[in-house]
Parts: sequence; C-alpha cells; structure tokens
Amino acid sequence: APSAAETFTIQTSFNAGDFSTTYLTENWLPKIKEMTDGRVEINLTPSGSVVPSKETPQAVAMGVLDGDWTSVNYFSGQEPAFAILGDLISGYDTPAQLLGFCKDGPGEKVWQKALDAIADGEVQLIGCGPYSREALPARTPIKTFEDLKGKKIRSPEGLVSAVFAAAGASPVSIPFSEVYGALEKGIVDAADASAYVNNAATGLNDVAPYPLYPGIHSMPSMELTLNKAKFEEMTPEDQKALRDWFYMAMEDLTNVVHEQDEKLAAEDTKKEGVEVIDWPQESRDKMRVVARKEWEKFAEKSDLAKEALDANLEYMKTIGLMN
Amino acid sequence: MGIEYITILIVASLLALMAIGIPLGVTTLLVSLGTAILYFGERAGFFLVSANVTEVLHKYELIAVPFFVFMANVLERSGIAHTLFESMAILGGRFRGSVAVQTTIVAVILAAMSGIMGGEIVMLGLIALPQMLRLGYDRKLSIGIICAAGALATLIPPSVVLIVYGLAAQVSITKLFAASAVPGLLLALLFIAYILVRVRLNPVMAPIYDIPETGLPFFNRLKFLKGAVLPAVLITVVLGMIYGGIATVTEAAAIGAVGALVVSGIQQRLSWTMMRNAMRQTVLTVGSIIWLVLGAVSLIGIYNRIGGGDFLRDLLGSLDIAPIMVIVVMMLIVMVLGTFLEWIAILFITVPIFAPVVADLGYDPIWFGVLFAMNIQIYYLSPPFGPACFFLKSVTKDIELQEIFAAVLPFIALQAVGLFLVLFFPQIALWLPSMLGN
Amino acid sequence: MSKFLSRYAAAMDRASVFIGHACSALFFACIFFSALEVVMRYGFDHPTSWSIELTMALCAMAWVLSVGYVTERNRHISITMLELMVGPRVWHWFRLMQIIAAIVTVSVFAMAVWDPALRVFWRPEYSGTSLNSIQPSLLKVLILIGAILYVLQLLANLIRWVQGTEKASTHGH
Ligand code: NA
Ligand code: NA
Repeated sequence: APSAAETFTIQTSFNAGDFSTTYLTENWLPKIKEMTDGRVEINLTPSGSVVPSKETPQAVAMGVLDGDWTSVNYFSGQEPAFAILGDLISGYDTPAQLLGFCKDGPGEKVWQKALDAIADGEVQLIGCGPYSREALPARTPIKTFEDLKGKKIRSPEGLVSAVFAAAGASPVSIPFSEVYGALEKGIVDAADASAYVNNAATGLNDVAPYPLYPGIHSMPSMELTLNKAKFEEMTPEDQKALRDWFYMAMEDLTNVVHEQDEKLAAEDTKKEGVEVIDWPQESRDKMRVVARKEWEKFAEKSDLAKEALDANLEYMKTIGLMN
Repeated sequence: MGIEYITILIVASLLALMAIGIPLGVTTLLVSLGTAILYFGERAGFFLVSANVTEVLHKYELIAVPFFVFMANVLERSGIAHTLFESMAILGGRFRGSVAVQTTIVAVILAAMSGIMGGEIVMLGLIALPQMLRLGYDRKLSIGIICAAGALATLIPPSVVLIVYGLAAQVSITKLFAASAVPGLLLALLFIAYILVRVRLNPVMAPIYDIPETGLPFFNRLKFLKGAVLPAVLITVVLGMIYGGIATVTEAAAIGAVGALVVSGIQQRLSWTMMRNAMRQTVLTVGSIIWLVLGAVSLIGIYNRIGGGDFLRDLLGSLDIAPIMVIVVMMLIVMVLGTFLEWIAILFITVPIFAPVVADLGYDPIWFGVLFAMNIQIYYLSPPFGPACFFLKSVTKDIELQEIFAAVLPFIALQAVGLFLVLFFPQIALWLPSMLGN
Repeated sequence: MSKFLSRYAAAMDRASVFIGHACSALFFACIFFSALEVVMRYGFDHPTSWSIELTMALCAMAWVLSVGYVTERNRHISITMLELMVGPRVWHWFRLMQIIAAIVTVSVFAMAVWDPALRVFWRPEYSGTSLNSIQPSLLKVLILIGAILYVLQLLANLIRWVQGTEKASTHGH
C-alpha cells in the first residue's frame, strides 16, 4: 500500500545559515518531494537544535528525531569505528572517491554495523560520505610537514587530533564556538575547521591569513539516517528514491563547494597579506605515513574499528589508491 | 492541539508554578518533563530531557561563572573594595556632589572587576551608603545611585549575563564584552550628569565632604591613590588578557580569581577562613544557578522540537511593523518580564526565540545582546521583583523596601534613556568591537 | 518513628553540608588548572591536552554535587512575592507544596537520567579527543547522583517541615 505523506525532521551538523544548509534547503529539499510524488518531505534543523550533536543516533532510535544528517566524528567516543569512518585522514584524494566507498563499495554495510552498535539496531543508514575537503586556516605559515612541529592546532574528536599529535603538533580541544577567538588571539596557530568557503563565510580566513588549501586530506564523512520503524513503513520505491536523492545531493554539493573553494582561494591568493599554502608532495607523503600509523592504532580499539579500516583498505585497492 | 495553545499552556504553567514559589529550576524541569512525556511518550521524552541536561555540563564557557563569583567574593571579603572607595573619596576633594559622583566611579571600577551584581551592591550598601547618609546626602539620591551604579557590574565587562547570553544566542562572548563597555560607561555618565544637575538645582541634597584629607591640595591627595593601584592592576590584567589575545574568557576569569587572592595577600588580608568562606559562598551561588540553567536548556530543546521556535519566529516576523519596531517590541517584552522574573529565566525564555528573528531582520546579534544586558539593568531595579533593591535592603535595616523602590524610579528612567540611545544608535555598542577587530 | 526521621534529617543535613564544602575544594582545583593552562602555554609554550577536559569534569562535579548543600540552605532561586500577600500562615502550607512539587519533579528527573547513566557501565563513552577521557560517561553518572542527592535532601527538608524545625530561608546570591 502507498504510504501517506510524511515530513521527516532531520537534525544536521550544519550551523544555521551555513553555505551547505542554504544550498541544500533551496535546491535539494524540493526535489525529494518531487521524486516521491509528495510522499516524503524533509525538514532540516541546525546542529544541536533538538539534541546535542553526539546524541543524534540515540535520538533517532527513540523517535525523538526522524533522522540525522550529520558528521560522524562526534560519535568516535562511543565507537572508535566512527573515527575511521568519520575522517580517514590522508586516505582518499577526492570526496568522490570516498563517496564511492559508501555508494558502490563496502562502506554502507560496515557503517550500518557501527550504527547498530551505538543505536540498538533501531537506526537505518540511508547513505554516507563527504562533500568537501577541509582547509586548515592558520595564522602562521605552515609550509611543510616539518613546520607542524610544536604548533598548537585546534582539533575536535576523532582521528584528526591523534594524527596532529603524531606529527609533533599540540592538538588543543577547544569548542567550535571559540575557534574564531582562539585563532584571532593566537591561542591556537591553526584550526581544523571546515571547507574553505565555510571558513571564509565565518571570517576564519580573515584572522588566519595562511590557510592550507587543499588541506591535509581531511574529509569529514556524513551520514543520512532514518528511524528504522519509519524507514520500514516506506515503500521500496521511496526508500530507493531517498538513497538516490542523498547521493545526488552530496555529489552536487561536492561540486558546488569545490567550485566555490577554488574561486575563493584563487581570489585570496591575489590579496595582499594573504598566503594560500599548498603543501609539496613530499610533505603530503610524510603526512600519509604518520596518518597510516594512527589508522592502525585506532583500528585496534575495537573489532568494528578494525572492520571499518579493512573495508576502506579493500576499497582503496579496488580503485587503485593502494597496492 | 496547535502549537499556539501549547505555547500559552507552557507559559501559563511556568508563571503559575513560579508564582507559588516553586524554585525556578524545578519549575522548568517539571514543565519540560511534562511536555516531553506528553509529546513523545515516556522513553523518548526521558531521553530528550536527559540528553539536553547533560549537555549543559559540557559547556566550557559556563566555567567562567564560578571564577567570577569567587573573585567578587574575595574582593568583597578582603576589604580591597573598601580601601578603593576610601582612596577615591579623598581624591575627589570638596567638590559639591563629589561623594555621589565618586560612588558612581568606584562602582564602575568594581564593575570592571566583578561579573555579578549582588556582591557589588552589598559592598556599596555597606560602605558608601552610610558615608553618604552621614554626610547629609539626600536619602533617595543615595539609595538610587547605589542600586543603579551597583547594577553596572553585569553591563560593564566581565559579566555573567553576557556570558550566558553568548551561550544561548551562540555569539562571541569576547565581542559582547567589547560591545557592552561603552554603553556601560554611557549609563554611568547619565547617572553622573543627573547627580550634578540635581545638586546644582538643590544644594541641600549634597553637602561638601568635610574631612581633613579632602581639604589637602590636589597634589597631596594623590598619595591616597595607592589603595587603587592594585585593583587597577588586576582589572588591567584580566581585561588585557581577554582583549590582548592571551586567554579565553574562562582562563582570564581563573587568572582574575588567582589575582584577587594575590592582591589580598599583598595587602595582608589573605586568610584561610576568608578564602574558605568565599569559596563556600561561591558553591552556593553557582549551585543555585546551575539547576536553573539545566531546566531552562531542556525546555528550550523540547520547545524547538515541537515547532515552538518556528511558530514564534513566524509570529514576530508577521508583525506588520518596521523591523526596528520589532526590536522595540522585544525590549518591551523583556522589560515587562523583568518586573517579576529572574534574569536567567528571562534570558532562557526570550533569547532563543528572539535571537534568530534578530538575525532574520538583518541586525547584529552582538548589538542585541548589549540591548538585552541593558534591559537587565532595568530588571535589577524595577519593582516588584528588583534584585538590586533586595540586596540593598538586606544590608540596611532602617530603610523600607518601598523607599528604595521610590528612590530608584528616576534611575530606571535614565536606564531606559540609555537603552533607547543604543537601540537607535547601534554604533555606541558596535564601534569598539569593530575597532578591536582590525 | 519521629525520632528516626529527625535523625535522618540531621544526618542528611550533615552529609549535604560536608559534600558542599568538599565541592569548594573542587572549584579551587578548577581555578588552579585553568590558570596553569595559561602559564603552560605562555611560560613554557606547551599547552596541555588535558586541562580543558579535566577542568570541565571537576567543575561539573562541583556544581552537580553541591545540590544537597544548596537545598539544605534553601538557596534555590524562587519567587517569593506571594509570601508578603498571603501572610506567614498560608505561606507555611505553600512551603509544603513547594517541597512536594520539587520531590516529585526531581524524582521523575532521576528516572529520566537513570537509563543513560546505567548505559555507560556496559557501553562506556569516551570524549573521542586525543586525550579520549572517560569524562562523558562520568557526567552522565554524576547527574544521576546529583538528582538522588537532591531528592534525599528534599526529604530531609520535608521532615523538618512536618516537625516544625525548618531553617529560615536565606536569599540572594
Ligand atoms: Na562587570
Ligand atoms: Na525587576
């Protein structure tokens, strides 16, 4: 039987007024309604508006939220697998490759397992993957891998802070709301923040005139989920439409954000007093060696983490990123 | 049931429960638990409340509150504030109305050291008020100036009100601090101007401060400045750390707390008992604030989830008036709430609703935060629930509450003037942060 | 029975005050570690990775566990406007209503935080930062302990109301 029209309330990890939120709301929310003949509508709410960011899987399981569309680094304290799924630093070159890991590779399967572990099997994964490469706003020039040594770098949960620590930097865990002030005042030298376009919008590039772009191959992955009971009430066609819609939206967002990033970075390069730094290949290789050691360490933290890493390595081989 | 009825029901039950004297933290918890269970059932409702409440404990910025409370307690108990007042009074000499003007100036200096209102009013009430009355100053003028100037503690940075506003509205606390400094001084100047005009018109209100020291030539009086040196150093260090880019507000507050101990040590007023009592008082103050925040935050989360935020935004957005008038309406709502609610309750009821509307209308949330803090100044004085008046009453036996309320009325008018000046000339607030930004 | 109850009230009061006083030591530690962080950063160019998480855990512990002390001293913020209007005799019955409302609410609240607190025992939750401390689990358990302390002290206050040995409420902060 065709299910009745339903509006899903989905909490995101975007801040209200972000480039990404605005873009999705204007361009993609109308499309899901179209694709399901009005049976499915989505209402996106900003980060932390209903429950704290790291509680969304539980909230979806309980039906407080219908779903989440969120960066999964927040869950790394609950299940180390999410540190690997959330941002496998120096693993992939482009967001498209990592989206492929989810869409065509073994990504969704292991992801669903990790979700089941923290959300009692009541949350259904719709799709996963990144939409951007993070830039690294810095207030002092970090031109090579060696320059990382001794630098104070704001980094949130997950693999990122471990990798920075291993590279000789001091990871400082300050809340995202304090990043601007901390960079402005030199409490940190650099901050793992967001895509170049988002950093520009929040003014981070103004207080940190030496942004690393492209960054250090940090690509935070997001998930779209639904409450399992709600998902099972949908027709198979609508379920498929939702998944297709998610990947189409993410691919589009990837392209748009990349375009914006490139444009802004090119403009900033010409500006007086701003230096957009692109690491030489040699530094990127050194970073990769350090990062891979940290992957291994995180993989030892739980069986699921091991499984998540193995799935990634296997997929990297099939697409020729590793031998 | 539509969201409009639920909103009315929530507000009505909050007001009813608060009115019969149930602690505000319990009231908000009760209403949020009730709403959550009705809407989502027991399991999901319980989860929603517990997730939001636990998150409050992760708010780094909230840690500054106990530090500032402790710092204020040390300054008050160690007598540093007392010394400061004496030196300032002597420095002022025999100018008519000088003691009233100095009380205002001392209040501003104390306000730059302390982030909470209570301690400062108690201190001024204990030290300045008896002096002014002894010298034959008009009772109403003296009482009014102490309540109004004492309240500046939470407008002139650092300020607990601005910290909690910054948390609720998700804006930079450092910028809020920078933006509130000039409006704070503006209010102080309005108070001083008012004093000078009143005593010119009616000299009986303010006799000359006639002790031998004030008769000395100005240059000789300068040596009495020494009581003000260490507090001045402390202020410079704390504010310098915040604006000079050395530390976060929380860290600066910790340094301030340590600094207050050091200053009282240098002045040989540091004792184990003093420190212990100051800290116990801090535990009680902060312990009572935190339960208020816990309840309020969980109520906001639930209200948002059931569509309350959108509803109120639409409601305010659909008002067919100029954008600036929407701000005026908001300010009037805060003013009315301020006659009978605690500031934290007002903040948590209004800010989550108002802040997004302010942004939608294209106004700066920092500016709105300053307006909010200025409105809280009015709240401190306005009867029947005027905490500044209660604090003063708690230290003076022979003054009735009614007399205090009558005395603060002209100052409420001055605060309103200041509020509307900043409302129609936002540069007053935004000029300093824009200067610091470059 | 009545003797037993007043003994409970006295013992609970003592326990709450003792824990409350202990909380002041936690705040001292908070101040110390926050100030130390600044010194480490500028004095030794070596910011710590643990200072923020530790300070937050200590502070959270202090302000949750001080609840018994705050309740014993009747320092929870409330509006007492009606006291002047209804007079002391009627207000006395209002006091009973306030205590009972608080007991019911905080008990339900304790039930709400019960499951998340127990959950961390079989599925511990870490901060996920480079320090990866146990802080999130700790806070979930703390809030339950705080709620229980709150109810226990409210029961002591209820006994004092019945036996007419209530302490005068002290206002302001
Ligand atoms: Na202040
Ligand atoms: Na008032």
